[in-house]
Amino acid sequence: MTEHDYPRIQDRALSLDALLAGSERPDCGALTVFSGTVRNHHEGRQVLRLRYTSHVPLAERMIREIEAETCARFDVPLCRVVHRIGDLAIGESAILAIVRSGHRAEAFEALRYLVDKVKHRVPIWKEEFYADGSSAFVTGCCIAEDEDGADPHPHAHDHDHAHSSTASHS
Amino acid sequence: MRIQVQCFGVTRRYVESDVIGIDLDEPATVADALAQLASRSGEMATVLTQCAVAIGDELVRRNHPLRAGDELALLPPVAGG
Repeated sequence: MTEHDYPRIQDRALSLDALLAGSERPDCGALTVFSGTVRNHHEGRQVLRLRYTSHVPLAERMIREIEAETCARFDVPLCRVVHRIGDLAIGESAILAIVRSGHRAEAFEALRYLVDKVKHRVPIWKEEFYADGSSAFVTGCCIAEDEDGADPHPHAHDHDHAHSSTASHS
Repeated sequence: MRIQVQCFGVTRRYVESDVIGIDLDEPATVADALAQLASRSGEMATVLTQCAVAIGDELVRRNHPLRAGDELALLPPVAGG
């Protein structure tokens, strides 16, 4: 990882310029960027806004570990992620991630892995607020480790399935 | 002994505040704390089966021994991004 340090969990609008600052590398011909933005619908319901909360100390450590793991796994020199918490309006960025690498193939692969891991492993919760005045937490991935010492719960693997909402609350 | 439990995500909806105190007989493990919390409601019991538990910035298992003053964090299934 780079010597450049910054909070991975931030409570203000995310800045791509800030994330890119100092990341340029002469040996890299590829830069991939992902921004996850707040959508105005979920499972047919109109979403007015989101609230993200986090266990910040654990999330900070885990995102740094996922960045380092991604760099090693794909042999890319630089990965960075920031995630927003607090109340977000439709269209705002909830997550920004970048990867720099020698060539584009591994930059795309590493970026997808990086974002999936952060979404599925890091203690961050998404609460949706609907037009009818109710709200619900989006059901996510269990991060409890199996009690026999094996890898984390099977649901914590990489996947693309949509997560439903539960625990509606008016 | 008394410990503190910090409730994240949906677990917050089933308790009266962000941090609650519970009393446990010694010796006690994380599993004992979760059992006492589960007795509060069926909804809480259900979500606890899906919760990871952290002390500080470390995830701990159900058999982790507790000490007086520990602060547990209940981490229900996550959904960032």
